[in-house]
Amino acid sequence: MSLFLIRSLSPLRLALNITLIGAIMVAILVADTRTDYEVAAAVFYTVVILAVSRSLQRRWLIAFSAVCISLTVLSFALTPHGHFYMGLVNTGISIASIILTTFLILKMEAARTAAHEAQAQLMRIARVKSLEGLTASIAHEVNQPLAAIVTSGNACQRWLAQDPPNLDRARQALARILDDAGRASSIIARVRSLAQGAPPDRTAFDFNQAVMEVITQSQAEIDRHGIALEMDLRTDLPPAFADRVQIQQVIGNLVLNAIEAMVAVTTRARIMRITSNLEDATISLSVADSGTGVPAGVQGHLFDAFWTTKPEGIGIGLSISRTIIEANGGQIRAEPIATHGAVFRFTVPYVTQGKTT
Amino acid sequence: MTSASPLEDDTPIVYVVDDDASIRAAIEDLLASVGLRVAAFGSPQEFLQHPLEDAPGCLVLDVRMPGQSGMDFHRQMIQLGIEVPVVFITGHGDIAMGVEAMKNGAIEFLTKPFRDQSLLDAIHHGIDQDRERRRRAARAAELRARWESLTSGEQDVTRLVVQGLLNKQVAAQLNISEITVKVRRRHAMRKMQASSLAEWVRIAAELGIR
Repeated sequence: MSLFLIRSLSPLRLALNITLIGAIMVAILVADTRTDYEVAAAVFYTVVILAVSRSLQRRWLIAFSAVCISLTVLSFALTPHGHFYMGLVNTGISIASIILTTFLILKMEAARTAAHEAQAQLMRIARVKSLEGLTASIAHEVNQPLAAIVTSGNACQRWLAQDPPNLDRARQALARILDDAGRASSIIARVRSLAQGAPPDRTAFDFNQAVMEVITQSQAEIDRHGIALEMDLRTDLPPAFADRVQIQQVIGNLVLNAIEAMVAVTTRARIMRITSNLEDATISLSVADSGTGVPAGVQGHLFDAFWTTKPEGIGIGLSISRTIIEANGGQIRAEPIATHGAVFRFTVPYVTQGKTT
Repeated sequence: MTSASPLEDDTPIVYVVDDDASIRAAIEDLLASVGLRVAAFGSPQEFLQHPLEDAPGCLVLDVRMPGQSGMDFHRQMIQLGIEVPVVFITGHGDIAMGVEAMKNGAIEFLTKPFRDQSLLDAIHHGIDQDRERRRRAARAAELRARWESLTSGEQDVTRLVVQGLLNKQVAAQLNISEITVKVRRRHAMRKMQASSLAEWVRIAAELGIR
């Protein structure tokens, strides 16, 4: 039976279906035989063929059509009354319509299969392409510090080759090399934890302090772009319960996005506002900027992987941020603000009497 | 040129535009180690806000930056008439990108990490090219100034003489005496600092006068 039917039905449904189709066919056979030659009841076999077409494989459908044709001929032979010549014509029409219907169904199925295969191929390509994008992004991220290391190394050599060697500048170059090497290896560690889908290592920690650490790291970048930073951190927050490093990655990503959104802003003040609060039994953090904002209609895509409005972006920052926040039991969303700019807000659970929310 | 231009004493300057602070610092230090003057910027906008120095220069420009890409900025520079030669550096250069950059007149297209000597060679090439461009521009301005110092009568005489007309023919065409032609000729040649007719014709050709 598994050969006969493509779709797996329960045995009961299968029996019912076969009985129903059999009954209809007997009814058509009886009607065709009992009525005059002038009545072409056999045309209704096409309805039965259409009904079973989705369940039958190609060769079985052809066989089924052959059975219908045989039954039509049988009825013609058994019919006692009516105009014989008319009966011949009607039988011919019935047989022709059965053959035509079968042919069209087979054609349609072939087209459907081709379309299905094309779609599957497209999805495979899309998957490979997005992987290519991810790989390119990671390669770029790692290549930057490596390139800096090479250049600093060259500079160091040249400072040492001077007569007398400029040890002070050489030492500074070495310090930069060590920093960049650390940066490269931390990127690789991050990619590895991403690839492994490492479960968050959740601990209790001081949320505001974690925020401040990220801000300190980004301070130079914030100053360089002439951005006014407004901090409104609620002081009586309970300890957060989440993966501290992962949460800091998300904060860093949101801060970076905010900075990038304001790079193009020249006509108004560049302001970044960071607010921590208690919200619905969770700790929330919002990062607001006065940047270019989120264009209407793209809100739904913001957190999709490989979706970006930045010409040079890869579109994984917010996607990864969401994965991280959700893995830590929180939520992240974007909120447009009436004037200009954007607000991104996420929540994380906190510790209550030794338990988490 | 008859006298040494003050331009030739100017120490060249290298501008660096890269959004990555590490790369910026490394390139700055490398160039400092070979005694080059550097001004580094985190974005094309910062570079534009900084007044260009009156010295031969070269711009080391990163391709991949948030906001405006280096390639786009190069096109904008051409539109703005900023003629500083550009050396591109990029994390992942493909051939098409390199070809386009070179078509737009870039000096070099280097893939990070690059050999320090390749970068230095490209920068020196760029500086030389810029120095030559500045020299030509200064010479053109100088000749233009000399030309402007001529009276309109002297300019008329010059136009006809460099076409190969004799004094008599010039006098006839301008409807002035041959003596006047000779006087204006002498004045014009002195003001144009031409010691011979041949040099005068050459200067006129440089100025596009015919």
